[in-house]
Amino acid sequence: MSRLLQRIGERPAAFLAPAAIVLAVVTFFPIVYVLWLSLTHYSLIGDAPTFAGIENFARLFADRRFWNALGNTLYFTVVSVALEVAVGLGFALLLARPFVGRAPMRAVVLLPWAIPTVVAARMWEWMYNGDFGVINYLLGTETNWLGDPVWAMHAAIVMDVWKETPFVALLLLAGRLSIAPELYQAARLDGAGAWRSFRHITWPLLKPLLLIVLIFRTIGAFRVFDAIYVLTGGGPANTTETLSIYAYKVLFQALEFGYGSAIAVAVFFCVAIITAVYVQLLKEAQR
Amino acid sequence: MLVAAFAIVGCGGESREDARERTIVFKHFRLFGDPAPFAALLREFEARHPGIRVRAETLPAASDEQHQFYVINLRGGARDFDVLALDVIWVAEFARAGWIADVTALLSADDRAELFTASLEAVTYDGRQYAVPWFVDAGLLYYRRDLLERHGFAPPRTWPELATAARTIAAREPDMHGFVWQGRQYEGLVCNVLEVMWSAGGDVLDGDRVVLDSPENHRALEFVQSLVPQGVSPALVTTATEEPSRHIFGSGRAVFLRNWPYAWTLFERPDSPVSGKVGVAPLPHFEGHESAAALGGWNLAINARSRDPDAAAAFVRFMASPSAQRTLALAYGYNPARRQLYSDPELLSAQPHLEALRDALDAARSRPVTPRYAQLSQVLQSTFSAVVTGLESPEDALAAAQREAERIMAEP
Repeated sequence: MSRLLQRIGERPAAFLAPAAIVLAVVTFFPIVYVLWLSLTHYSLIGDAPTFAGIENFARLFADRRFWNALGNTLYFTVVSVALEVAVGLGFALLLARPFVGRAPMRAVVLLPWAIPTVVAARMWEWMYNGDFGVINYLLGTETNWLGDPVWAMHAAIVMDVWKETPFVALLLLAGRLSIAPELYQAARLDGAGAWRSFRHITWPLLKPLLLIVLIFRTIGAFRVFDAIYVLTGGGPANTTETLSIYAYKVLFQALEFGYGSAIAVAVFFCVAIITAVYVQLLKEAQR
Repeated sequence: MLVAAFAIVGCGGESREDARERTIVFKHFRLFGDPAPFAALLREFEARHPGIRVRAETLPAASDEQHQFYVINLRGGARDFDVLALDVIWVAEFARAGWIADVTALLSADDRAELFTASLEAVTYDGRQYAVPWFVDAGLLYYRRDLLERHGFAPPRTWPELATAARTIAAREPDMHGFVWQGRQYEGLVCNVLEVMWSAGGDVLDGDRVVLDSPENHRALEFVQSLVPQGVSPALVTTATEEPSRHIFGSGRAVFLRNWPYAWTLFERPDSPVSGKVGVAPLPHFEGHESAAALGGWNLAINARSRDPDAAAAFVRFMASPSAQRTLALAYGYNPARRQLYSDPELLSAQPHLEALRDALDAARSRPVTPRYAQLSQVLQSTFSAVVTGLESPEDALAAAQREAERIMAEP
């Protein structure tokens, strides 16, 4: 064993190569290819790609639909992630306390997350139906949730919160349970109440994990596609069209691979920036 | 002598060809119902063309997915299918890309005379035909005969007549909607609104020129925008697609419905609450203009890279023949692309609505026939959606759509 390790130490390149090749093929090549495509005029139904320089990006910059999609995406991300973390944290703290039926409760909370997104979205579409939907029935309203330019996005956010909060709750619950009970016992002996224990024990110890949860959820929400696509298809009047939906429609419906790739590159850079910010925050939190 | 020798060589070549099994693959959307009549049709073709076998392969149900499947495979140069069923709005795009073969020769002068004008237009690109019309569809107006009678209205000929009747009856009857149609942001919305625009004398393209920002279209969009606020249509139309709107009308809760012909048989089922009470008519129009219906439907095209274009052509000819179309119309209720079948006694007795449908199909228009249709449709979808939800005024929406459409049409 140690001889093997020694040999690896002598010739690391040969041993790293397989992983590096796989990574290059499945990650690096597509990224570079999309970057290249974003610099071309290229329609699938037209001729071979021709170099366009930054023309696609100039068009992107002046494209009202792009800024609309970016605004929708940011709004969706900020509101849904904030709600998911707030509600998820609440669930995690509750589920960490001993009570009768805790084990089945933990399983039940996970259910929405276990349902495939497209199925869940279809279900919500029926519930939101303005004619016979259960939500109007329960609220005693006659709102056309998905057909109203103001409500449609919020309807999508509510569905996403329902769907993704279990994920946040589960991770935070694991984090909460890994905090040594002795700390809480000691705090109680010192006369600390529930709020002080949370403020000075739970919060600081949960923070690094919380940031990781935030990275996952923010990137997930920023790339949201299937949930909204099934619910509204981006309508009404593109008020729920996110960047991913826009990119999908340009790439796979209109077959404009040049411009569609430019949108994809824009998404890529947005996600890169978000990640960089979080990684920085994470470093500070762990210091 | 020489000629004879060539003839012998030719024959020899052909018989060798015959001896080898030739298989063609037919990609198509799923036919709902008993698969037996369709399978029998394929066997009939094989019996008539010894040596050729047909394998039919079904595509995913969603239209978008079918489009994506074709694009990915044809762009990749796939040769594993020969004949493909194409939506009317894809033909120009696929022809421009060079993915489907020119089939002009498959349509005789008689065939052309038989086909609905819009249907032939939809398969024509650059003056040549790239697909053979198979089934057709057109938007229709369904109305409740009993309700119109009870309240003293005649079936509406014009849009204002429809608006008045819908508003009045919806207000007088309990739990009743007026005019239900498809207003969700999707392809169906484009059909619905284009029908109103055409019946006001408007259009999208004139040749390659964009003519969206016109007084005619303006008037049409004003009308469409007024439907919900004026109580003609319920607010729920802005999320409705075909099926939800059919359910509302089919459960007896709407006076008027715009939908495709498939709804007719469902309304006439014995267990349907509206059975025997439904009338069908061409869509209304504005005074001084003509009724227009959006053409839908499917066409048969041949993969340009097919290994056996002759067998594929024979198959297309067979499938589009009057007898095959008749069989499929009887078995599955698909509306034939050939006009003569609309006076076929057996077909008419099984599906009496075909009579009214023929008028609608004669007045049908194809959506803009351009390789850029998918792009154009996205602009129209969001524009129309903004108008029906009251988010933008018709002026602003049309001006913006005009600019966008001009940019699309100017692309090389």
